[in-house]
Amino acid sequence: MRNAYVDQFPAEARVVKSAFWSSFLALAIGGIFGLVQALHRTDVLRFIDSTDYYTVLTAHGVLLAITFTIFFLVGIFTWAVTTSLDRGVVDIRFTWSWYVMMVTGTVLVAVAIFSGFLEEPPSILGSELYADVLFTFYSPLQAHPIFYIGLVLFVVGTWLAGFDWFRTWWAWRDENADERIPLPTFMVLTTTLFWYICTLGVALSILAFLLPWSLGIVDSVNPLLTRTLFWYFGHAVVYFWLMPTYVMWYIMLPKLSGGKLFSDPLARVVFVLFLLLSTPLGIHHQYLDPGIAEGYKFIAMTNTMFLLLPSLLTAFTVVASMEHGARQRGGEGYLGWLTALPWRDPVFTGMALAGLMFAAAGFSGMINAGMNINYLVHNTWWVVGHFHLTVGTAVALTFMAAAYWFIPQVTGKELWSRSVALGQVLLWFVGMTFMSNAMHRSGLFGMPRRTAEPQYQNFDFEPAVGTVAEMDAQVALGAVLLVVSLVLFLLNMVLTSFNGTSDSIPDNTYAGTLSGPEDAPEILDNLKLWTAIAVVLVIFAYTLPLASIVESGGLFGPGIDGRQLSLGADLEPALETLREVVA
Amino acid sequence: MNIHTYEKVWLAASMVLIVGFIATITYGAVGPGVSMISDDGGSIDPSEINDDERFEETGVTHVGGNEYEVAVLAQAWSYSPDEIEVPAGSEVTFYVTSPDVTHSFSVVGTNVNTMVVPGQVSEMTVEFDEPGEYGILCNEYCGEYHHTMEGTLSVVPEDEFDLTELSVEAPGEVESGNETTINATVSDGMQTDLETTATLEIGGEQYDEDVTIDGAGSESVEFAVDADQLGEGDHDWTVTVDGEEESGTLSVVDGANDDSGDSDGGDDDA
Amino acid sequence: MSSATERETGDRAVESDSGDIGTVRELGHDEFDPIGTLILIAIYFAILVMLWLFMYFVEFLGNGPTVVGSLATVVGLA
Ligand code: HEM
Ligand SMILES: [Cu+2]
Ligand SMILES: [Cu+2]
Repeated sequence: MRNAYVDQFPAEARVVKSAFWSSFLALAIGGIFGLVQALHRTDVLRFIDSTDYYTVLTAHGVLLAITFTIFFLVGIFTWAVTTSLDRGVVDIRFTWSWYVMMVTGTVLVAVAIFSGFLEEPPSILGSELYADVLFTFYSPLQAHPIFYIGLVLFVVGTWLAGFDWFRTWWAWRDENADERIPLPTFMVLTTTLFWYICTLGVALSILAFLLPWSLGIVDSVNPLLTRTLFWYFGHAVVYFWLMPTYVMWYIMLPKLSGGKLFSDPLARVVFVLFLLLSTPLGIHHQYLDPGIAEGYKFIAMTNTMFLLLPSLLTAFTVVASMEHGARQRGGEGYLGWLTALPWRDPVFTGMALAGLMFAAAGFSGMINAGMNINYLVHNTWWVVGHFHLTVGTAVALTFMAAAYWFIPQVTGKELWSRSVALGQVLLWFVGMTFMSNAMHRSGLFGMPRRTAEPQYQNFDFEPAVGTVAEMDAQVALGAVLLVVSLVLFLLNMVLTSFNGTSDSIPDNTYAGTLSGPEDAPEILDNLKLWTAIAVVLVIFAYTLPLASIVESGGLFGPGIDGRQLSLGADLEPALETLREVVA
Repeated sequence: MNIHTYEKVWLAASMVLIVGFIATITYGAVGPGVSMISDDGGSIDPSEINDDERFEETGVTHVGGNEYEVAVLAQAWSYSPDEIEVPAGSEVTFYVTSPDVTHSFSVVGTNVNTMVVPGQVSEMTVEFDEPGEYGILCNEYCGEYHHTMEGTLSVVPEDEFDLTELSVEAPGEVESGNETTINATVSDGMQTDLETTATLEIGGEQYDEDVTIDGAGSESVEFAVDADQLGEGDHDWTVTVDGEEESGTLSVVDGANDDSGDSDGGDDDA
Repeated sequence: MSSATERETGDRAVESDSGDIGTVRELGHDEFDPIGTLILIAIYFAILVMLWLFMYFVEFLGNGPTVVGSLATVVGLA
């Protein structure tokens, strides 16, 4: 008897499948835009205007960092909760409603962004569609209201999804009063809790300031305040992307390796640490911002460094679990066991390579986090290299690898080709090695990020090692390999969905544990306690900086108008620049 | 809790790593004295930047000793000034702000790098020990032509640096038989006294005038010019002082012919 | 102590079947010392420390002019 997820939870499987496909669609568009950017910046191939570059970049950032990641996340989390609690969601209509809400939000945001390609964008709500504001939407750059409305709908959708997972857990708890929270559900719930805490910041920023301002209800904002509220959310969101990845590494990788999770208690400790520390350190993205005293930056730095701990612990636990699997499969020696791992399994290999890339990303992240050393790399391509290792590989590659397991689970159809899948994950790894390595190195001589034509009139970059041309070539080559890999992935997914259903789909299971929940102190499951501490830490970290920002710049700032800096909207400075360029 | 010995070892090593990082960063702050951009620059109303005394005039000013201040306006899509020159061996405090959106002020190939957020003034002090040429760029997206936003920073050898400014007043025409004067006003942007020489070149001759200017003051230098000595016709002149230079043309016209237009007179005779 | 956690035993390694190396032995918590992991992670630790020192003291502090505070002036005078 086949016992895949779709057999156990057919209704939920449909939602999960829809969420995955939404995420693949975002990945497809966003990934192709990534190639456009890489070729344009390096001047290998320019077929868009440099002024449209920023429309492309906004779409790439939003579609990949927000849409792709979070749609995949809600799919995995819904799977994790229902599978580990062994019960369906309480009301599937509610589940569909948050999915539809997230889709609606995404469509609104996309409409606003893609109108940037039109010569004359249509006017809605009294102003032209516009959203060339990048995914950070720093004011006083001002997007069209539907961009902000779309974001709010999307986030509220995720809030409802979180409620759905909690509700399912509550229903389970009523029937299983004395049991420990199963680990996958525990991971989902702790993640959801810090998501609630951190999204309050961005919701406040949009609802209280940016949306009313874009609608003309208030006529000014305090740019430093909205920026700080964004980063209050903006760091935790990176852990939000990362947590489903960790879920996969903790509960799938050990199983795929043929072993068990090394330690359930430490996994719980790790997720509690993320709940506690993900938010009160967003100021580390503002090390070079004026208007924030050095002391607050130092506090954010120490918090950030301590947040390395759960990731370092994860590295040990996950590798040890893999080693356990390898040794159970007959692996021997100090390192010889590595060859006993199932390297021909694309799901395993994809996740393992993603983990390896994350180890490298850990290093560049430590540099970013290092407060004063941030002067060296802030807003350079180093940072872009860094997060293409984290979200662009640790997360994205794990998700793609996971999809090779999940899509058969939620459709009942066998994967079209395992060997293409294996080639695909390897190709991503190779492509990203080229692209991200060259990006990191470019950052060290000051190559800026978010710049359509980083070729300047009055000075040249002076790399200490290598040349600009060589690094550009590596970026372009890496980007091409990545997109080939992406196409292979999508092809595999599409062709799989044309397959007939198969009986040889493996059972829907996840890894057992060597040291189980009975070894974990009960207090770890006390979500109320951890949430309360997390809130207190946030209050400590943010009250004073926010108070001083409001005190010095005012809640709504000193008469700061919205800007849409394009030739049409703001002729004067643009003409001035043009004159300079011509002269 | 059941934690494996190796895992305890790793936990301890991780703590060492974390504490080590924090220690290094703290050392960077107190040893080499790297200091973060902070709220020292204060806030500012972006629509009234000129009212702030630091931004009445952008550019380099001398504070005293080896200390300088540079006020920079970062705006879409240029810096004002876009060419900055400071002497080697100086300690320069930058004040940077924006009247429109968020930019950055980043000196390429150095650790001088700050965000420029409207409503705030980014203040940072930098020591320039060695001469060098640097590019300046904006690394925060600031609108369609963000990639065109750039500038340069030259750190020149100390003895080549001055803040001397020159402005010259000279008549366009003088009648033969008369004398006139070319007036050069030399001002010294430095807080220290300046001893220098103003030079006028005209009609193949060179006239030098020594001048001493008090710190932050200015002096006028008068060059007397004898029309007969020059002879009738157009004479190009140049005043130079400390590498600053201004030039023009003086026409000597026939005394009798005094109501012809000021500029054509010379040509008719030629 | 591993017995209580055997719940998932049945599904172990079901999926990673593209190679034909299946499980050849069972290792409980007490029989398993992740010595390979310790070695790998020690190497990682060493790399982190070396790269950190290189990045901080060579790349960063050697990267030309830097923003300094009044603190530096005090130190500089002393
Ligand atoms: C197909 C592979 C990809 C390629 C070729 C690619 C390429 C690029 C390039 C060249 C940039 C730099 C733009 C600039 O600084 O001017 C960029 C930025 C970015 N990428 Fe990717 N990328 C890829 C995949 C991804 C993935 C999978 C993610 C996340 C899941 C991602 C997230 C981002 C983000 C968040 C930015 C920053 C956007 C901003 O600065 O506003 N990218 N990408
Ligand atoms: Cu962060
Ligand atoms: Cu810019």
